[in-house]
Formats: sequence, structure tokens, C-alpha cells
Amino acid sequence: MSEGGPAVDLDLIGEVALGNVAVLVVDGDGRVVRCNASAAEIFGREQKTLVGCSATAWFPEAAGGGILARALTEGVRFQDSESWVTRPDGVRTPVAVSCAPIAAPDGRLRGAVASFQDLSGIRQLQQRVLQTEKMAAIGQLAAGVAHEINNPMGFIHANLFQMGEYVADLRRVSEAVDALRKSAELGNAREIVEAAGRLGSVSDEVDVDFLLSDLAKAIRESQEGSERIRHIVQDLRDFSHQDTGEQVRSDLNQCLDSTANIVWPMMKHVIVLEREYEDLPAVLCYPMQLKQVFMNLLVNAFQAIEEKLEVAPGTGRILLQTARRGDRVVVSVTDSGVGIDPANVDRIFAPFFTTKKVGTGTGLGLSTAYNIVHRHGGSLDVESAAGGGVTFRLTLPVDGMPRA
Amino acid sequence: MPDAPALLIVDDEARILSALRRALRREGYEIVTAETVADALRILDERPVDGILSDHKMPGMSGVQFLEEASRRRPDAVRMIITGWTEEIPSARLEEAGVCALVTKPWDDARLKATLRRALGVRPV
Repeated sequence: MSEGGPAVDLDLIGEVALGNVAVLVVDGDGRVVRCNASAAEIFGREQKTLVGCSATAWFPEAAGGGILARALTEGVRFQDSESWVTRPDGVRTPVAVSCAPIAAPDGRLRGAVASFQDLSGIRQLQQRVLQTEKMAAIGQLAAGVAHEINNPMGFIHANLFQMGEYVADLRRVSEAVDALRKSAELGNAREIVEAAGRLGSVSDEVDVDFLLSDLAKAIRESQEGSERIRHIVQDLRDFSHQDTGEQVRSDLNQCLDSTANIVWPMMKHVIVLEREYEDLPAVLCYPMQLKQVFMNLLVNAFQAIEEKLEVAPGTGRILLQTARRGDRVVVSVTDSGVGIDPANVDRIFAPFFTTKKVGTGTGLGLSTAYNIVHRHGGSLDVESAAGGGVTFRLTLPVDGMPRA
Repeated sequence: MPDAPALLIVDDEARILSALRRALRREGYEIVTAETVADALRILDERPVDGILSDHKMPGMSGVQFLEEASRRRPDAVRMIITGWTEEIPSARLEEAGVCALVTKPWDDARLKATLRRALGVRPV
């Protein structure tokens, strides 16, 4: 405060409601000296009980210790470090924490000012964007999936019709058996012989032996077909799920496989898919979001290959690799497609940038993928692959997003 | 049956071949099947057939491309396509390949039989 200027009463901070931002002023020991009105909401306590509390525990960890401790002892500033605040009633709120030290004119650190921005609204919005992009991806797959379901539907449908015919044939045999039994009860020799003859000719005509064995075969084949449909629907349902708010340990080899299963129908006629997986530790992540990234990379790889096949017919190749590198895992998708024009390399992760034909891409796929990977504390890179295609390489920390 | 018309059915899905055989059992055709285009072409090199019913979406070569190849080997064979997506094939392509009938998957039993009888010139039994 400059000499002679209007002094602001620091206590007035307590009256300031800043929407979804809690402001704390803490002393050199990390105790709350002042807080604004919004802090009560975000921390779930009455404002006056917050004053005097030790604030250290509310701050996320950074490299080398808690953010607040480092601000108070080393004078380091932190901006938008993402974390969670748990209220006494158990509600967890995602927050972005910023913190700056307060230094006296002589340079000594006296305390710190910190803000906690409630990210719930932003998170919800992000979730909605993710879901929209994912549904758009499913839309692109719909034709392939429909084809994959239609084939088993085709033979199940035909087999059911044929089984109906078989039952009608068996009924004729059964009727001839009944007629023979009735004749036997009446005891008229001539009628018995006639009925037996009819039974014989109906059985021959119907070809009972063949019919029974083929009926069993038709049932078996149709069951297998319905099992296939069940799997397709299951994979699709798994994919359209949303993550819960918490990261979970997941097997990325399995996530990659189940995603490839859904995309496979649309590409199987023109692509050879190769896998080189290493054993991976379970990765702390949002598995549905990562599946979405995999899906995006696979669809891009397929479309790049399709584009190439238009000028050079044949088959393409997609190579999926996973590997462990210390405390990180690496997942890469390499295609034999048209590659990326060097002029565009810097723009491919930008939202709404697309080189695809109108209607085949939203321009949001890679930017969404990039955001998802960064939210996991990982990185997504692209480089040219031998033979003209590209490799997308995704690196993720095994133990999830490091704090701060 | 000495004059049973020979019908070659091509589909990369073995279960479809099995179901078609089942449906046509009483139709009096001599049925030959192939799961790949390569096998189908080999069969055509070895023997004549009266009709060919082929799937369209197959690995390596589409059904229409295959029928064009087939017509070079057996120009007299009647050519038909069976597919879930009849509208995906441009009608000009169908004409070029001399396709005389399209059957939609899943097929209607009576319609399939009628289409084949008409195409192969067989009187209803």
C-alpha cells in the first residue's frame, strides 16, 4: 500500500464473493488469516471456522513438497495446479490452485495468497465434449458394425426359417406314426401294413436322418452367430460408457484390444492388423477416455490408408505396439497410410483442423486425444514412419497424473 | 438329376454358405461353394457352372470385381450378387459386370428361390 493512499481494510476480503473462486490469505506458518465468502462454499465450512486453520493439507503436492510449503519457504509461485478439495461432508470438488508468496519490502517471506477455483462446471463441460466426440466416432463406425451384425443376422434368419420347415416335416412324420399306432390298436392287418407303408414313405421323403443332424447343426451355427452379435453389442456398450470421476488401474493392452475389436469390422477387408504387446503394469487412468484416444488413432490410421489405397490399391497395415519404459508406458499406432504433409504437422492437434473430406471428420479428434493424454500427465507425439505412413506415440505415467 | 443346374456360391462367411445350402436343398441345384475369391476362380477354371451367386464385401476383391473376372472365364454363367448393402454398389458397376440379380441379406426364403429360378431358367417345382 502506497503511503497516503487509501488503505483497504483486509477484513473486507471476507465479504467478497468471487463466484467459484475461494481466496485465502495465510501467514508464514500456513494458517488462514483471511478468506473470502466463496471459500465457505468450496471448503464446506463456515467462514469464521476457516480462519486459524492450517491450510497446508488443502494444497496439492508439487515436486519437492507441498505447494504452500514451497511458496512460504522458497517463494515459488504456482498457477492452476489441479487438485481436489474434500469437504467435511465427503463431497470432493475438483479445483485449480494458484498460490503466490507475500514478501515484505525487505524480501522476507511473510505469508501467501492462494486461490482455489472450483472446476466442477468446467469438468462437466469437458465430459460433455468428450462424450459428443465419442458419439461422433461411433457414428463413423456404425456402418462397419452394422455389417458385422448383419452377416450373422443373415444366416440366423435363414436358419430359423429352415428350422420352421424342418419342424413342419417332422410333424408329418409324427402324424404318420400316430396313424400307424391307431391302426395297431384297431388290429386290422391290412390297415397296419398301409399305415406302416405311409410312415416309411413320409420318412424317406422327409429324410429324417439328414433332417435331425442338420437341425442340430443349424441350431449350433445360429447359436454361434447370436454369440457373435452379443460380443459386438457388448464391445460397443463398453465403449459408449462414461468414466466415473476417479482414475482406476487398467490394463492398456486390453483397452487397446477391445477398442480395436470395434473398429476392426470397418477395416478388415483392406487392412492387416499386427500387434506387438509387452506385459504392462496396470496404469492409473480414465480407461474410457484412453479407449477414445485409441479409437481416434485407429480410425485416423484407417482413413490415411484408405486415402492411399485410392491411388495404390492393395492392402494396408496397422501396427499396434505397447512397451514399458521405467515409470511410463508407451502405446504406439503406426500406419502405412498417406502420411502427414510437413506443412500441417504443427496444426494436427489444433481444434477444428482437418484435412479429411467434409463429413468424415469433426476436426476435434486429435485435439480431444491430445487433451485427454495431457490430462493424464502424458504426451502424444507424431512422427513419420518408414514407407510414408506415420506413428502416433502416446506416453503415460504408470501412476497417473503427478500432483501439480 | 442329370440336368441339375450348377450354382457356385461365394461368401467369405462359411455360415452364410451353410445357410444358403440349407435353404436351397430342395431346389435341385448342384451347389458348389467357395469361401475366397481365389478358390472360386480356381473352381471356374476347372469346371463350367450355370450361375454364380456372390457376396460383395470380401477381402482382396469385391463381389462385382470377382464377377467381372468370372465372366472372362465363364461368360455364359448367370451372375448374381447377395449383400446387406445393395445400395452401395453403383448401378453402372452392376451393368458393367453383367449382374442380373441382387439379393439382399438377410434374404427372404421365397424371394431368394424365385430369383434363382428366374435367373437360371428353372420352372417352379
